[in-house]
Amino acid sequence: MASMEFTEWIRARSDAQLRALVSARPELITPVPAHLEGLAARAGSPSAIGRALDRLDRFTLAVVETLAVQDGPAPRETLADLVGRALAAGEPEPALGAALDRLRDLALVYGPDDALDLAPGVRKALDDPAGLGPTVAEVFRHHPPEQLDELADDIAPGTTGSGKERLAAALAEPAKLLEEVSGEARAALDQLAWGPATGRVPNARREVRIGSARSPIEQLLARGLLAATGEESVTLPREVGLHLRGGRVHRDLLAEPPALEGTAREQGLADRTAAGQAFAFVRVVEELCERWSFEPPGVLRTGGLGVRDMKRVTTELDVPEWAAALAVEVAHAAGLVAQGGGVDGEWLPTTGYDLWRVRSTADRWVTLALTWLTMDRVPGLVGERDERDRPLNALHPDLRRTAAPVVRAAALGVLASAPGLAPSRASVLDRMAWEQPRRRGPLREQLVEFALREAEQVGVTGLGVLSGHGRALMAAAGIGPGAEESAGTHKGKASGSKGTKGAAAKAAAGDPAAVLAPLLPEPVDHVLLQADLTAVAPGPLTSELNRWMTLAADVESKGGATVYRFSDASVRRALDAGQGADELLAALERHSATPVPQALSYLVADVARRHGRIRVGTASAYIRCDDPALLDQITADRRSASLRLRRLAPTVIASRTSRAALVDSLRAMGYAPVAESLDGDVIVSRLDGRRSEGPAQTRSVPASNGLDPEVAAAAVRALRAGDAAHLARREPVAAPGGAIPRGPATSTITALQDAIKQGVRVWIGYLDSQGNATSRILEPARMEGGYLTAYDETRAAVHRFALHRITGVAGLS
Amino acid sequence: MSVNDGPLIVQSDKTLLLEVDHDKADECRKAIAPFAELERAPEHVHTYRVTPLALWNARAAGHDAEQVVDALISYSRYPVPHALLVDVAETMARYGRLRLEKDPVHGLILTSSDRAVLEEVLRSKKIQPMLGERLGPDSVIVHPSDRGNVKQALLKLGWPAEDLAGYVDGEHHPIELAQDGWSLRPYQREAADAFWHGGSGVVVLPCGAGKTIVGAAAMAHARATTLILVTNTVSAHQWKQELIKRTSLTEDEIGEYSGSKKEIRPVTIATYQVMTTRRKGVYSHLELFDARDWGLIVYDEVHLLPAPIFRMTADLQARRRIGLTATLVREDGREGDVFSLIGPKRYDAPWKEMENQGWIAPADCVEVRVTLTDEERLAYAMADSEERYRFCATTPSKTRVTEALVRRHLGEQVLVIGQYIDQLDELGEHLNAPVIKGETRIKERERLYQAFRDKEIQVLVVSKVANFSIDLPEAAVAIQVSGTFGSRQEEAQRLGRVLRPKADGGGARFYTVVSRDTVDQEFAAHRQRFLAEQGYAYQIIDADDVLGGV
Repeated sequence: MASMEFTEWIRARSDAQLRALVSARPELITPVPAHLEGLAARAGSPSAIGRALDRLDRFTLAVVETLAVQDGPAPRETLADLVGRALAAGEPEPALGAALDRLRDLALVYGPDDALDLAPGVRKALDDPAGLGPTVAEVFRHHPPEQLDELADDIAPGTTGSGKERLAAALAEPAKLLEEVSGEARAALDQLAWGPATGRVPNARREVRIGSARSPIEQLLARGLLAATGEESVTLPREVGLHLRGGRVHRDLLAEPPALEGTAREQGLADRTAAGQAFAFVRVVEELCERWSFEPPGVLRTGGLGVRDMKRVTTELDVPEWAAALAVEVAHAAGLVAQGGGVDGEWLPTTGYDLWRVRSTADRWVTLALTWLTMDRVPGLVGERDERDRPLNALHPDLRRTAAPVVRAAALGVLASAPGLAPSRASVLDRMAWEQPRRRGPLREQLVEFALREAEQVGVTGLGVLSGHGRALMAAAGIGPGAEESAGTHKGKASGSKGTKGAAAKAAAGDPAAVLAPLLPEPVDHVLLQADLTAVAPGPLTSELNRWMTLAADVESKGGATVYRFSDASVRRALDAGQGADELLAALERHSATPVPQALSYLVADVARRHGRIRVGTASAYIRCDDPALLDQITADRRSASLRLRRLAPTVIASRTSRAALVDSLRAMGYAPVAESLDGDVIVSRLDGRRSEGPAQTRSVPASNGLDPEVAAAAVRALRAGDAAHLARREPVAAPGGAIPRGPATSTITALQDAIKQGVRVWIGYLDSQGNATSRILEPARMEGGYLTAYDETRAAVHRFALHRITGVAGLS
Repeated sequence: MSVNDGPLIVQSDKTLLLEVDHDKADECRKAIAPFAELERAPEHVHTYRVTPLALWNARAAGHDAEQVVDALISYSRYPVPHALLVDVAETMARYGRLRLEKDPVHGLILTSSDRAVLEEVLRSKKIQPMLGERLGPDSVIVHPSDRGNVKQALLKLGWPAEDLAGYVDGEHHPIELAQDGWSLRPYQREAADAFWHGGSGVVVLPCGAGKTIVGAAAMAHARATTLILVTNTVSAHQWKQELIKRTSLTEDEIGEYSGSKKEIRPVTIATYQVMTTRRKGVYSHLELFDARDWGLIVYDEVHLLPAPIFRMTADLQARRRIGLTATLVREDGREGDVFSLIGPKRYDAPWKEMENQGWIAPADCVEVRVTLTDEERLAYAMADSEERYRFCATTPSKTRVTEALVRRHLGEQVLVIGQYIDQLDELGEHLNAPVIKGETRIKERERLYQAFRDKEIQVLVVSKVANFSIDLPEAAVAIQVSGTFGSRQEEAQRLGRVLRPKADGGGARFYTVVSRDTVDQEFAAHRQRFLAEQGYAYQIIDADDVLGGV
């Protein structure tokens, strides 16, 4: 039985091969199966096979499909012959060899070269391999036997056996039958030859015999060249289809990915353009957060940002709506804004934003760009409508698409393979269709379009070309040309796990922030002052000067430079903040590359002249009296010291005590004061940017589906151990008697980590769910989320152990 | 460093900052001038703005997006955001997708190189009624009378049409420039040529740069009967005199069509006012447009073109049109109508550059801050809000300072400009100078102007009637005592009064007397900003310096 053979084959794989398998198909070990038989079974499940096939490129998939149309195991030569005929150009090798290696790595194909076979379940998972219909046996299964007999009598007279067998034999070599039919009928067949193999005709189930067949379709039905598979559908049997294809399973197959077409651009120019956009993107996000600090939009009841608020963001940031949505979504996913404040909730910047803001532009960009690359949200959908025709809002939970980060990584991977080229969108789609043909679809095309558009907006690409810092960013995210499944492995050059390749790429490409930083404008420490009362900072200002300028002038326009405008109000603001007029002028002179214009110094002097002439203070009570002498007397009185009196004018004293207390005290001192009604005092409060209290909630999915090598190794170890137990039908091992291990939690974790790394068994003390202290012998596999997964030798099964219940760990000699 | 050391910085709001002192500044200015409007030109950093209209002007002048993008990238100090480049390319690509053309069979047709655009436009409710039968997938008949309206509507939709339908030649009439003892300045020739090659359009030149002569040169190109539309009668007279002086035209060939005279001659000068006069709700002088087969229509001060003239112009699209103005900025924001109805900008030269070349006089702008007396301050504080400006603009303190300024410039030609008649009368009395105001008769005005030119009188007090199109060549000093709330247009006009080159080559002074700590000062802030943005030296002094200095 095939599944037994397959299990044995799996068992015979080396540890390294198993590690490669679970790394490439991580879903096989979530959760870790108890033994290799379990692993093999899971590898044959339809969903696991579907996911594995989804990862195959066009050529490798074609190899699988070619195998799938064989009845059983096929030798490599047959395969090479079929594939060779299907190729548009070139020889099947060495591409075929590489594809087979990869398929074996993925456990989709197994067996030696002279008897290659698909893993159990793969045939079933491919409904119509290469667009071919079902086999004769399959397609005629539901026909009544007498009808099959009639059919067989017609096309294979004089043969014996059941109708079905005779039919199958006759249709295996349909050349003669095909010669009999009319040209029109032949044309109809040719229509179906390259798939899809099913066509629609009215009344497909009509009864026809060769003698009575008139229309082309009837001619075909009468000969079994088409089979009725429904009231109105006919299907081309696989054997006939293959014959029509001239024995080929595919046509115009490409062993290599299709070449990218587009415009060549100078890489330096692309880098600069991308850097300009990166700078602009960081600024847009910052401006968004700044605006939301003071005027936060409300959170919709359904979650998300209202359409009107979105419109306002679009206007204020002066970018297209999709770009505004992108900024909003990335800011949110990066944890810079979150829901908070108020009863109904508002979108507010987080404390994380404050930390982000003080970092260098390049670092800030890396944070945003990495977030964009890995987030599972699709800002491009904002403004579109969902199935129920409701508009999709930014920040709405419905904007998640798990495929998004994968598509982004794949699209950038395509760009990465063509340095200095801005490939056309169609060409990128073509390439991606070759790389992952099973993932095609309208959503995917849309996602690719979004990804390319957003990459440009974020500044990962410039003029459609992947920038140097974009490349470094991909490496930092663990994706890149080396990590792309098709590129390296397909050519058979590299082997080993993806994780190490990603790390190598990272080292080669360098830190994205370091690559980007030299392309960004350097901070300048001066401004140009002009007679129209503007100041131009010809680049980003040093942070100290920036703060000072923002205080003393209003920002008028932003971009590569910043234009500030001095006005009455802005100068007054600086004076209010404690700057003196002279100090202000001195600072202007110091920071200006040009002389201070007369109009500006006049403005400062003029505002200073009026500033502070009227003074406003707070007093909780006052004493007034027309007789200054009496007030002299009160202030001189020692008993008044506690009242904290201040003489404002000869006839007025202000006090910081309350009116009632003042009246009481004065009475106690022997005066006869009368209380006066107050008109209230002025409270000046400073407006502060508000912050969300909740932590930023972000969710990101790793863009690469690479698995941490350590996890893979641990899983393989656990599997091996489980398998050994399973095979030996081991009895539970008794835990050693004596004192149950005890130790502090930290040393427990360290000891377990060591055990996982070294792959050794340990003895632990464990409190079971009833609270009983037990003692176990474990082979720890991995530790995450507060749980240890390990093979429990005392129970002969893989279990998960809560770390907090492990009372201690001891080694086993 | 991979960052360019260019003179240009591109801002995200599509303004361009040009560092003037940079080595490549001149080169860069020339490269960006076709597609960016100079917005501010203070001493160190000039601001240009890239607007859709500016980009379409550039397209109309034969520049393509590639050139624009190239100029931005090669002069920009920092990387130019890609989004902006894309926007530029997309905006420019919108011009000329639709073209108005002449068809031998169907007359005027609208054709498109992009079917989708034509479909979009055809669906517009505004445009449908102006179009006739669909001739094919890419063309449709346009009612000839709607040529202007179609262009206006298409611009509003963001698909400005290129008008290639040509012009009627009009009735031939010989006109030559009479360059005896003078000659066209290079920029005047360039402006007239640029207009003629473009067919129709607007020439932007600063006040005092000789726009009338550009008009005359355009007429000499056209050699056809010409209708000239000007702002007022005085201006009409000046056009007439200038044309007699500069061209082969004689007095008999030039007619005046105004409130008082209704002459229609080969060259006819009409005022906006008479054209927009209505009798019983009908424009009674529309027939002037059909009175002759005009070959050229000249619009003076196109930024002041009143709305009814726009509507009339929409029907004149088959005739060549030239607009003359100092600024494309319209306070009513109808720049788009100027673009679609008169035509794209054909020539532009910044003030400051003309000044550097000595074609217009340099000007010093001085703001004199007058401190009000205590009584005046009290009265100001108590004044009704609508009376406040009038009050602070006309305080006696101002009169004293104005007198002191006039004394300081004794012997020079001084113009005192104001808004309020009482104030002007009072000043006239104090300064012993004649006053020109709305009620002054044309004859008397001209006599006074002539006397001022001949230096028989040295101080002239004028109201806003003098804002437009009068020629006072030797006004070395202008003193502005009150104005229309700091309007930019008015400022440009008034400054133009003193910008004519002086015989002695000396600079001009432009004083503004402002009451401190009042709304007057707020308006002065607008004025200051405008003038400083135009690149004039601007100084603020205290009235005490003036009063004490004498």
